[in-house]
Amino acid sequence: MRPAGRDEHDSLYFDYPRFPFVRPAELERREVRHRVAIVGAGPVGVTAALELARHGIASVVLDDKDSVNDGSRAICISRHSLEILQQLGVDKCFTDKGLGWTRGRTYFRDREIYRFEMPHSEQERFLPMVNLQQQYIEQFLIDKAMASSLIELRWQQAVTGVSQDGSGVSLEVATPEGDYRLQSDYLLAADGARSVVRKAFGLPLHGEAYEGRYVIADVRLRSDFPTERRAFFSPSVMPDSTLLVHKQPDGIWRIDYQLLPDEDPDKAVEEASIRERVGTIIDMLGEGDDWELEWWSLYKAYTLALDDYRHGRVLFIGDSAHLVPIFGVRGLNNGIADAANAAWKLAWVLNGRAPDRLLDSYSPERRGATLDVFANAGKSTRFMTPPTRGYRLMRDAALSLAVDNDYASDFADPRQVTPYTYAESPLTLADGDDFAAGPIPGAPLINRRLGEDDFLLDHLGRGFTLLLFSDDGSLAPARQEQVASLQAREPGLDVLIIGREPSPQALGRGLGASQVDNWVDSRVNREGGVFEAYGAVDGTAYLVRPDRHVAARWKTLDSADLDAALTTALGGE
Amino acid sequence: MTAPTLPFADLEQVYETLATTLDALSKEQERLFLAQLALALAHRVPDVALVREAIEEARRGVAVAAS
Repeated sequence: MRPAGRDEHDSLYFDYPRFPFVRPAELERREVRHRVAIVGAGPVGVTAALELARHGIASVVLDDKDSVNDGSRAICISRHSLEILQQLGVDKCFTDKGLGWTRGRTYFRDREIYRFEMPHSEQERFLPMVNLQQQYIEQFLIDKAMASSLIELRWQQAVTGVSQDGSGVSLEVATPEGDYRLQSDYLLAADGARSVVRKAFGLPLHGEAYEGRYVIADVRLRSDFPTERRAFFSPSVMPDSTLLVHKQPDGIWRIDYQLLPDEDPDKAVEEASIRERVGTIIDMLGEGDDWELEWWSLYKAYTLALDDYRHGRVLFIGDSAHLVPIFGVRGLNNGIADAANAAWKLAWVLNGRAPDRLLDSYSPERRGATLDVFANAGKSTRFMTPPTRGYRLMRDAALSLAVDNDYASDFADPRQVTPYTYAESPLTLADGDDFAAGPIPGAPLINRRLGEDDFLLDHLGRGFTLLLFSDDGSLAPARQEQVASLQAREPGLDVLIIGREPSPQALGRGLGASQVDNWVDSRVNREGGVFEAYGAVDGTAYLVRPDRHVAARWKTLDSADLDAALTTALGGE
Repeated sequence: MTAPTLPFADLEQVYETLATTLDALSKEQERLFLAQLALALAHRVPDVALVREAIEEARRGVAVAAS
């Protein structure tokens, strides 16, 4: 919602783009068969389109709107999401515009009781969190998608019906110039919490709703306070409430507060109520009264998910599959991980390099991530908004003890999103060897600094990557043959040698097998920091999926193992 | 302070169990329950100095909350 007199796209800082309606081929009565249709051009849908395009798969993205989101909902992008955006080649605009942060403060009854610092080091390219308004997030992704010849964005086109059979999916689409039917091999439903696709198939969400309603309000305010997350429990201005404050680019501040138990939500979102409450909060922050109201919205915390994220030829990604509480910034970040996971698998199936059942692994992996989120976000939500007298008393007890005692401060930890490990996935091979360090099978790769503006994750291949550790930087002849035969079988496999010395061999495209579009590259790591971080010795190998998660690893690689692991990572025999 | 302490994950479970136990009691029973719990826990700590330390910690916390 915006102040009276301003329409939904009248922002203090953001120029909303207008995307025109373009008559689709179907309306010209041309026969078109799409490989992938994506419903919803929000951050999740467009991320999926970009990941598909990265693997050479064309998609059509439909959205009923003619612009980006009306206000800034999601504002925190995690490091893991930035690493996905890096693979899509769009990370730079996010880090240039966004405000990175590592710290937070917790206050109880106006006293600062706890400061937290998120894990960060010079080994990382990206900060643990970057704040950026959702409009920018969407705009940057859409700009990238518009530059791709493999992505067709269809604006002002509303999906009104969906059906599927064994060979494909059929969508009923309404446009300003008439209705048409769209046919595709597969469908990605990225159409949000009120998913039309989900409803069309009558698929229910299961889970629970939490007590408490919250207002999120964005204001423009001149303040020198650094980019940190501030949480206020029982502040004197609202003793029965909890509030959060975040800084965003363009002098915009996010104020998030809990409504009082007896407060009428309809009244609370009236402009006068918002102005009064926000004014009191800004005054408490010591920021004076020179501020402007930009936008606000009301929300309630839910933990709801579909029982299965795959429904035949339809995969649900983002909010269409799951609703999570806002605390811990898991909504958008999990949606982006869903998109990357679903899209690479779909690309491998459509490119004929994996069986359709590879898609069956999408739900256990990403629904597993959702359930993990529920466990954490449930705790966060009960802490932020105690649902009962018992929880309230325990919360206040923990916060009171936390003033002087570190052991109790961990209760106030915001439990920010961390990437999920697909350890139980059918695509993951459990360790057979002992590793003292390194990402376990199913976990995402960890980054390491290799040099000035040069990091390990910068060097991953487009598809699967075999990370090979070699003391002298060379590949033994037997290993070379093995790599060549594997690359002949899986053209999407690249090899990255991490050597303590520069490779003595000429490496490059199509080592051994000609006409194969892949490469062998090497990086030198004289100090051996990468070896150490990965628990690696000469001959150690990590097989890495296109989404950077480890499929399998070996202390000393055996060729038969690698072949079998790749088969497993692509859905099995 | 090198005495072994409860791992945080277990402390979190205690937090949850206490919250739901308190909810099952009436408001009047709450104080008596918490006082009994304090004695029952103290009985399991073999060093009275540690118990006194915990009492002092809790007392300071109350002072903070009231200030």
